[in-house]
Amino acid sequence: MIVASLLPNINELFDWRSLAGGDTLLAFNKTALMAFVSTAICIAIFWTGSRKQALVPTGIQNVAEMGYDMIEENVSVAAMGEEGKGWTPYFATLFFWIFFINIWSIIPGIQFPATARIAIPLILALLSWATFIGVGLIRQGPAYFWNSINPPGVPIALKFLVVPIEFFSKFLMRPFSLAVRLFANMTAGHLILTIFAIMTNELLIVHSSGLYQVIFAPLPFLGLVAFTGFEVLVAVLQAYIFTILTAVYVSESMHAEH
Amino acid sequence: MHTVITLLANDLGPSLKSGLGSIGYGLAAIGPGIGIGMIVGNSVQAMARQPEMSGTVRTTMFLGIAFAEALALIGFVLTFI
Amino acid sequence: MRIRRLLVVALIVGVSSAAMSSVAGASGTVEEDRACVEKVADAKQTPDGEFYKALDNCRKAKSLIVPAVSEMLWGGLAFLIVAGVLMKFAFPSLRKGIKAREEKIRSDLEGAEQSRIEAEAERSRYEAQIGDARSEANGIIEEARRDADRVRKDLLAKAESDSAEVRQRANEDLQLARDRALSDVQQQVTDISIGLAEKIVEHNLDPATQQALVESYINSVDR
Repeated sequence: MIVASLLPNINELFDWRSLAGGDTLLAFNKTALMAFVSTAICIAIFWTGSRKQALVPTGIQNVAEMGYDMIEENVSVAAMGEEGKGWTPYFATLFFWIFFINIWSIIPGIQFPATARIAIPLILALLSWATFIGVGLIRQGPAYFWNSINPPGVPIALKFLVVPIEFFSKFLMRPFSLAVRLFANMTAGHLILTIFAIMTNELLIVHSSGLYQVIFAPLPFLGLVAFTGFEVLVAVLQAYIFTILTAVYVSESMHAEH
Repeated sequence: MHTVITLLANDLGPSLKSGLGSIGYGLAAIGPGIGIGMIVGNSVQAMARQPEMSGTVRTTMFLGIAFAEALALIGFVLTFI
Repeated sequence: MRIRRLLVVALIVGVSSAAMSSVAGASGTVEEDRACVEKVADAKQTPDGEFYKALDNCRKAKSLIVPAVSEMLWGGLAFLIVAGVLMKFAFPSLRKGIKAREEKIRSDLEGAEQSRIEAEAERSRYEAQIGDARSEANGIIEEARRDADRVRKDLLAKAESDSAEVRQRANEDLQLARDRALSDVQQQVTDISIGLAEKIVEHNLDPATQQALVESYINSVDR
């Protein structure tokens, strides 16, 4: 209860002032800025990594190649097999962009993942959604829609039940869960860090006159330290899950189930 | 009497509603929590038995986790509505 | 190792203490706050229920799951830029580099394999040669040993036959000398005996009886 009353209005945690463009549709706030900075970081790393192709990779080139290889091995090939190798650039872009946006949640002075705003996960999920539907249409033609909601081997009587469920889970639930998974994980992480930080602040600085506060202040601080470490894991894992789910969805649209 | 109830409802309404939302999320998280635990546990067993299949098992595991987690996510979102 | 661990801990502590400082900072716009205050102030004139409702509405957070369109636009634009640049320029050359390296490593490995096979062949050839030479040497040694054996046997046989001959000859000489000595002795004994007997029986016997006696004696001696 005390913590709840200490917590600032949720707008103060997630809603950012417009830096430029006013309150129009083009309002450019901190979230948008972070998206662009992440873009710049991604481009910087992979651009420098791919310019001078030394035979023995060092430094940034090594990082870029290892990242690319990791995505190729753990996402493209793992989810799509050999034909997934052509998709590696898209998945690598997706993974590293999401990762660099997520990792802002522990960067000192910024401490906010732009993916904790539903907008960015949503646009990415819509993109993935459009991608796997597009791939299905290209590979299987218009029959894709019927193939994908009509799993083979189901008795006629059950089809009335299965087809709506498949439609719901494939075309509505997938983009929703992709977006909300990323958003919810990052939001929850941000809230946890915020709560521990506020508790430490209250106990250590605001109410520093009481002995109890001084004794108990390290506890939320240790929690803060631990969850900051945990957030790194979450940032990597959520980027990976988003990417591999996209890969699995695309791979599923490539071939009709038999 | 009526005004008191209205007052109480108006005053407590928001916090009551958010408290109920939190409880709802907690309930919604039980099933997926158990499900994800079973998925991961069995996947670890499968990977330990057949390490050469661990790539496929991992992908399938994440897929299963995604499906189970979707339910918890719906609960999470409902707390904000 | 310890230093590295300490550095990591220090980094995490620093990061999280910085987290405290940046908790507050964002908020709605100032205009929004002002409008809210005005709205609540207006509502104060009305009965209590209205006031609380106004206050509640004013404080109500923007829903977190309603996406801000501007952020979607900017985020989508940023992603499209990064996807375009990386997929168009960065990744192809990155992949080309990786491919080239793989190709080089593969060709290097194949070259190494090739030269290994060649070296192997060379080695087996040398080994065969060495084996030939060794067996040849063995043959030579064997032959030499056989020759030496034969020579030794010849020499031995020759020596043996020589010594046998020498012994034979010596035996023969010995026999001869003995025979001669024996016949000499016989002669002398005969002569001496005759002389002796002559002297002893000179008066008693006639020569014929003498002769018979001597002969019988000699015969007994001879036996």
